[in-house]
Amino acid sequence: MKQVTYVVKDELGLHARPAGLLVKVTGGFKSDIRLSANGKEADGKRILGIMSLGVKKGDKVTFACKGVDEERAAVQIESFLNDNL
Amino acid sequence: MLNKLKNMWKKEEKIGSPIRGEAVSIKEVNDPTFSDEILGKGIAIKPLTGRVVAPCDGTISMVFDTKHALSITTEHGAELLIHVGLDTVNLKGQFFEAKVSAGEHVKAGTLLLEFDIEKIKEEGYDTICPIVVCNSQEFSNIEAITGEVSELTEVLKIIQ
Repeated sequence: MKQVTYVVKDELGLHARPAGLLVKVTGGFKSDIRLSANGKEADGKRILGIMSLGVKKGDKVTFACKGVDEERAAVQIESFLNDNL
Repeated sequence: MLNKLKNMWKKEEKIGSPIRGEAVSIKEVNDPTFSDEILGKGIAIKPLTGRVVAPCDGTISMVFDTKHALSITTEHGAELLIHVGLDTVNLKGQFFEAKVSAGEHVKAGTLLLEFDIEKIKEEGYDTICPIVVCNSQEFSNIEAITGEVSELTEVLKIIQ
């Protein structure tokens, strides 16, 4: 399993647009991707699940990738987070 | 028996308009998040009033803290996102009032949200309301029906 942890810097948090863009990234991998934040967990490939976490500026998010392409998934998620959030 | 099987085979869920106004193609929305269907397939309503009602029976799955968007999970499992205006996340809840909270079961027509359409326009925001099925990939087809709409006029057909 590969983990990525990130503290959100974007003023508006993980709202609709970034959630949609994030799923474009995670949906391309075979690995199971779980996202946890604020004591809750969601499927990292489901837009609504991600938005339901209510991630705001300053919140810590953790992605856990598990599967054949977990390395590549973790790298791409990390670069997405750095670029967008 | 055969008819029942056919119905199971081709299950279709009808979604009404949550807002009175004009239903237009999602491609006309001036925001690629919606027009490129990044959040899923759907339709958009150019609103005439600041009232959002439940477009079908279902459960409120999420209300953004900023109250500009909420989602409802339908009885067939479609995850609808109703987003009021574009970039309205920036208003941080101002001019929006949510009437429901996550977890509530609602019937078609239940008032979900009110917004001050004139104030939002004055602040320079586009008030178009995209309605998208976030889990579009789980359905075989989603048809949009455009034109003038009242609350609950059919605007989407979700086919399993």
